[in-house]
Amino acid sequence: MGRVSPRLLLVEDDDHIRMPLRWALEDEGYEVAEAASGEDACRQVAIAAPDLMIVDLMLGAMDGYAVIREVRRANDLPIVVVSARADTHDIVAALEAGADDYVTKPFQVKEITARLRALRRRVGASSGGDERPQELVLDGDPAAPLVLRPDRGTVHRGTDQLHLTLTEFRLLCELAASPGRVLSRQALLERVWEHGFFGDERLVDVHVRRLRTKVERDPGAPTLVVTVRGLGYRLDPQ
Amino acid sequence: MRLALAPRRLRARIVLAFAVGALLVSAVLVTTTFGLARSYLLDQRESAATRQAFTDANVLASRLSTAGSEVGEELDDLVPSGGADVVVRSDGAWYSSRLDVGARDVPGALQELVASGQAGTARVSSPTGPHLVIGIPIAAAGVEFYEVAPLVELQTALRTLAAVLGAGALTATLAGALFGSWASRRVVQPLEQVAGAATRIAGGELDIRLPPTEDPDLLAIVASFNSMVDALASRIERDTRFVGDVSHELRSPLTSLVTSVEVLGARREELSPRGQQALALIQGELGRFRRMLDDLLELARVDGDPVTAVGEPVSLAALVREVLAHRGGPEVLLSADPDEETVVQGDKNRLERAVTNLLDNADRHATGAAAVRVERREGSVVVMVDDAGPGVPLVERERVFERFARGPRAARGSLPGAGLGLAIVEETATGHGGGAWCSESPFGGARFTLSLPGAPR
Repeated sequence: MGRVSPRLLLVEDDDHIRMPLRWALEDEGYEVAEAASGEDACRQVAIAAPDLMIVDLMLGAMDGYAVIREVRRANDLPIVVVSARADTHDIVAALEAGADDYVTKPFQVKEITARLRALRRRVGASSGGDERPQELVLDGDPAAPLVLRPDRGTVHRGTDQLHLTLTEFRLLCELAASPGRVLSRQALLERVWEHGFFGDERLVDVHVRRLRTKVERDPGAPTLVVTVRGLGYRLDPQ
Repeated sequence: MRLALAPRRLRARIVLAFAVGALLVSAVLVTTTFGLARSYLLDQRESAATRQAFTDANVLASRLSTAGSEVGEELDDLVPSGGADVVVRSDGAWYSSRLDVGARDVPGALQELVASGQAGTARVSSPTGPHLVIGIPIAAAGVEFYEVAPLVELQTALRTLAAVLGAGALTATLAGALFGSWASRRVVQPLEQVAGAATRIAGGELDIRLPPTEDPDLLAIVASFNSMVDALASRIERDTRFVGDVSHELRSPLTSLVTSVEVLGARREELSPRGQQALALIQGELGRFRRMLDDLLELARVDGDPVTAVGEPVSLAALVREVLAHRGGPEVLLSADPDEETVVQGDKNRLERAVTNLLDNADRHATGAAAVRVERREGSVVVMVDDAGPGVPLVERERVFERFARGPRAARGSLPGAGLGLAIVEETATGHGGGAWCSESPFGGARFTLSLPGAPR
C-alpha cells in the first residue's frame, strides 16, 4: 500500500522559524505547505483542507486563535499550536478555540512530530478493523438518542450527525469503552494524546469541556461525562 | 533588631520626660506653698504670742507698781495662756512661773537687748521643742520680762502640711509618668504600624499599604511611605517584566537555531569530520542555552506570581523516577517510599524543574548523583540527592541557593550553569510551603534536600 505523505499546513509569520521548520518537517516525511498569515492560511484551507495544521498563535492582523476558530467551522483535522509562552491563558484559549495540542518555543522538531504522529495514529486506529462494537447507545432518550459508531467515526444525536473533532471523538471513544468507570486525567492523556508523566492535564479538561457542549443535553449540568473530583472523568450512559 | 529596639527606647524617653517634668513642676509648687504657709503661720503665731506677752507684761507691771509686792508671788499668780511660761529677771535674780523653765531658756543676745531697754524676740530650740522667747523690759519696776511660748503645735502642723504636699508631688510625678506612657504609646503606635508594614513588604507582600489617616502630623509619613512602596513595587515589577520580556524575545531566534541545527543534524553524514565536531558543539551549547532560558523564564514567573502551587496531587517518587528515566540515568540510583506515600500537592512541571536542577547540579559539581532517595518523613516528603563530589563548605551552604551564585569549581571543564538552578529549587520549595537545604552526603560529597509538605494520607 503506497503510503501518501500527510499534507501539513504550517502557519507561521516568522520566516526564520518557518523555513527551517519546513525543512525539518519534510525530513520527517510530511508534505508541507506554508502560510505566512492567518488570512492566507484560511484561504488555503478553504481551497483544499490539509491533513494536519501547525499554527503559531502570534500572527499579524488575524491571530492564531481566529485561524483555529475559522478552520474549526468545517474541519476536524488535528491542529497543533505553537506558542511563545506557556502561560495558562494563551494555551487554554487556544485549546478552547479548537486546538488539539500545543508545544512551546523553543521546541525541538521531534516534539512536534511526536504530537503529530499521535494525532495521526489514532485516526488510523479508529478506522481500523478491530473488534469494536458497531454501535454504542450513550443516551437512550427516545426522542433523540445519542449513538456512537466507533468503526465509522460518527456520533449521532437522533438523526443529526454531531461534528466532533478527531480528538473529541477519540476522547469519547475512550470514555465509552469503559462506561461507569473513572478514568484519570493522566490515563486519558496517555491514551488520547500519548503524553507521558509530564503532560499537561489541562488538555483533558478543556477537551472534556468542548465535548460536553456537543454531546450533553445540558452542557451546564453534565450528566453523561461527569467529573469525579480529584480522580478524573467517568461516562455514565443515560 | 534596631526596629524592635527603637520604639522601646523612644517610649522610655517620653515617659521619663513626662515624669521629670511633673516632678519639677510639683517640686516648685510644693516648695513655694510650704514656704509661704510656714512664714505666714509663723508670723501669725509670733504676733499672737507677742500680743499675749505685752498683755502679760502690762499685768505684771501694774501689779509690781503696787507697793510691797514681790516678784516671785506676783509671778505665781500670773498664768499666761497658750501654755507659755514666764521668766523674769529682777535685780539680777531670775524668777520663773515653772521650775523647769529658767534663765537658760533665754538666749544671751536677747538678754542684752532687753537689758538695754528694748523689746525683742528670739526663736530657740530646746530638748522640749522649739520655742519663741519674747523679751520686754518693764522699766518702771526695773524688771526684764520674758515669755517663752512653745511652737510645737505649729511645727506639727507644718510637718503634716509638708507630708501632704510631698505626697501630692509624688502623685503628680506618677501621674506624669502614666500620662507619658499613654502619650508615648500614642506617638509610637503609628511607627509600629510602619515597622509592621515594612516587615510584611520585605516578606514579599507588595500590596501592603498604610491605611489613610486624617492626622496632619502623620499625613506626610503615611503618604511618603506609601509612595515609596509604590515605587518599589513598580520597580520590582518592571525588573521582572524585563527579564520575562527579554527571555520571550530570545525564544524565537532560539527556535530558529534549534530547528536549523536539527535540519543540519539530519545531514550530519554530508559534513566533514570537523564540520561534524562543530555541529556537535553547537548542539550541546544550544541545549545549555535553552535550559538557561527556561530557568530565567521560570524565575520571572515565580517573581511575577509568588503564591501559586495550589496544584494537583503529585507523587514525588513517581516524578523523580520519570525524571531519571527521561535523563537516561540508571534507575538503581533511586530508592523511594511507595508512590502513594510520597504525594504532595503541587505544580508537576515546576517540581520536575526543581528535581532536574538538583540532578544537573550533581552533574556539574560532582560526577553526577550517587544516590537519590525519596521518603515520607512525618508530615513532609523529602527528596535527597547525594553526590560524591567535593561537597559544599559550611559557610557556602546558604549562599549556593542565591541567584547567580556559582560554585568555585563550576568553570572546571564541566559545563557551568547560569547559577540559577538552585535558586529555582529553593523558590519552588518555598512556593510550595517547603524548603531546600544543603548538607553532607554519606558519599563524602554534598547532599541537597528538597522538602515539601506531604498531602494527608
